[in-house]
Amino acid sequence: MSNEVESAQVSDAMEVAQLSSLAAVDSHAGSCEAEMPSRLLNDAVRSLPYHVVKDLLSIGVCSRCVLRILGTEDHIYCHSSFSQSMLCSVLEEVTGFKSECDFQFCSVCLGVLQLSYRDDKETLVKMESPNDMALVIAELVKKEGHQIDGFSLEVSIPQFILENESSLLSGMKKRYESEPWLQERLLSKCVSVKDVLKFAITKPLETLLDTKASASSFRIRLAYTHKMAFGNSVERNQGFKRRKIGTENGLQNVNDESVVANKDCSDYPTNETIAVTGRSSLKVPIDKVSEPCHLVYLCYRAHIYLCGRYLKYSRNVSQTRWIIDEERMGEASVEEIIGSNILPMCRGDNYKFHAAGREDIDVRMLGSGRPFLLEIQNARQVPSEETVKEIESKINGLENKLVGVKNLQVVGSQGWTLMREGEAEKQKQYCALVWISRPLEDEDVCSISLLNDMQILQKTPIRVLHRRSPLERKKIIYWMKIERIAESSQYFLLHLCTQAGTYIKEFVHGDFGRTQPSIGSILGCRAEILQLDVTDVKMDSF
Amino acid sequence: MSDVMVDHTQKLEETAVPNNLEQQDKQDEEQPQQSVQENAEYEDEELHKLLVPDITQLPLIPPSAVEFNFASYFAPDFMKPGNDQYVYRHANGLCVVGLASTHLAFKDKGGITAVDFNVGKSDRSGMKVTGKRKKNAQHFESNTALCKVCTNGDSYIVRCCVKGSLLEVNERLIKQPELLHSSADREGYIAIIMPKPADWLKVKASLLSLEEFKKLRALC
Repeated sequence: MSNEVESAQVSDAMEVAQLSSLAAVDSHAGSCEAEMPSRLLNDAVRSLPYHVVKDLLSIGVCSRCVLRILGTEDHIYCHSSFSQSMLCSVLEEVTGFKSECDFQFCSVCLGVLQLSYRDDKETLVKMESPNDMALVIAELVKKEGHQIDGFSLEVSIPQFILENESSLLSGMKKRYESEPWLQERLLSKCVSVKDVLKFAITKPLETLLDTKASASSFRIRLAYTHKMAFGNSVERNQGFKRRKIGTENGLQNVNDESVVANKDCSDYPTNETIAVTGRSSLKVPIDKVSEPCHLVYLCYRAHIYLCGRYLKYSRNVSQTRWIIDEERMGEASVEEIIGSNILPMCRGDNYKFHAAGREDIDVRMLGSGRPFLLEIQNARQVPSEETVKEIESKINGLENKLVGVKNLQVVGSQGWTLMREGEAEKQKQYCALVWISRPLEDEDVCSISLLNDMQILQKTPIRVLHRRSPLERKKIIYWMKIERIAESSQYFLLHLCTQAGTYIKEFVHGDFGRTQPSIGSILGCRAEILQLDVTDVKMDSF
Repeated sequence: MSDVMVDHTQKLEETAVPNNLEQQDKQDEEQPQQSVQENAEYEDEELHKLLVPDITQLPLIPPSAVEFNFASYFAPDFMKPGNDQYVYRHANGLCVVGLASTHLAFKDKGGITAVDFNVGKSDRSGMKVTGKRKKNAQHFESNTALCKVCTNGDSYIVRCCVKGSLLEVNERLIKQPELLHSSADREGYIAIIMPKPADWLKVKASLLSLEEFKKLRALC
């Protein structure tokens, strides 16, 4: 008979009867496991100061909160098979107090620990056991198609609940200050509503999702909010999480549409005292809570990152999507090519592309490639190492060969720091196709190669002056090397390595003399640049 | 080279680069040192192939940066006969103004001796424009004086030609007025002006294109 206590299908009446008989039995040397939870609960309940339980129940505190506030360890009353009504009955049985448990929401936790809430369709939901909530979550995870190897459970509750609790606790400390149990039970911080709920749901969730709760990028979030009228407390006003609709102070604007729905709330007397005995009375900010919290179940994966280096072989591809007046500039963008090939493999909602610097649309990115970070939002699946290699091959094998990818891999949030590391010190290597207005001499090749760590002064190039500050920037050209081109006396390749942020085109043609020195001024003639390629972005960590 | 886009390189027929990358992928840490070096050299070679242009595709004399990125306009006899000025307009709307080669100042035997920006109510070379919004930029009309160009015998007032905010004047002319002789259309520019789109359209109507200007001045 005692085994059946664990069955969730047992009706209320039967439960009460069985528990009563259990309570009557002094000790039960139960060998089967199923009995232990209810025995522990029973013992815990019987060790409570009954008059306090009665007081709390009478001001509308729910059974879990009563147990919680009086310091009971959560594993005792959070067993997934313990239904709301069952716990209620146990307490009432023990204290001989009859309350309208079913019709009221806890004045402290506002129904959160009673597993009651309003869902997004405004339907009132009263779950019987934490298992049921875990089921809802598991369904949601399945529906979204998430592939997970862990989860992190978060609960957010209205600030109001914490305020309720703290004012109740201070009231209790005053009222029962001389009593012996106070030291042991009350003065150590009681387990929070959030923690109790998390504890109750975690085990059944682990079973249903077949994985462990851990520090995972996959987040399950229970967000509770409450359409509560404000009391006189200023602190309450500041800490409260507001609902988007409606005004904040339902009490004042009775004519407001949104308040009509919460008519019950606005009738609350604030700081009403319920005197149960002649001693200083226990206060709760809210007397009868007739509306539970609004609960939204969220499950999402925090951003995942893929990093690598990209190459750009085309002079007609921009780095990021570039649209002017609804017309696209260039035939494609690096961002879209990479993002559109990775996003579906992660089954994510969205992607964001970040690169360590950028190059003009008509400048190719060759050699080692440019480091980039692709942020995937709400990925349903984290791609495996194999999948990532497949993606890399796929992008590199695209027919139009506009873009290439190297060293693609999933990386944690440290990807950001890796990117930003030494950004200012980054050296870049280029190869420019230069034409000068007179034949190239051997002296020129020599003199150019001798210029090391040369400082130049660049005024903001005219081509970007419309959107950037007019400044004079000091930049360093670390080294230069001229490579002659066979069959040409006036064209040559200029290889150079410069400080990050140097405008190469302007360094070659001089930008109306606003970059000093320039290739033209060094060689004493007119110089023009026809083509530019980035051949190396020096960054170790990528 | 264009500030927007251009492609002078040979069209790639081989798929040199993807092969290269696949090689990279296959490489693991177990590869012997020599192989790594060989691979690096191979990569360099492949890279180099991409960099070297096809000389047959290149023009003998390429268009200059100014020709490629700016639209040239001219104001002949602006406010005074012989006062020929140019306005080079970039795609982003900024205008570089200066003396056209046919300007009277160049005909003076003694040559240009000095350039003075202290004209009108303020010294144009003294203003400091800051920030993206170009704070402190003075708003000038098209006939506002920018500077005075002095020759041995005469002096000429150079004006904005375009109504807009003065972003910059070429201070180098103060110490090196000879820049006007060597390259009035580049290093010898006078100033940079930012007109509002509406103001530009108005003034554009009164300016000549390069072709029209050449015809007018009978230049070849």
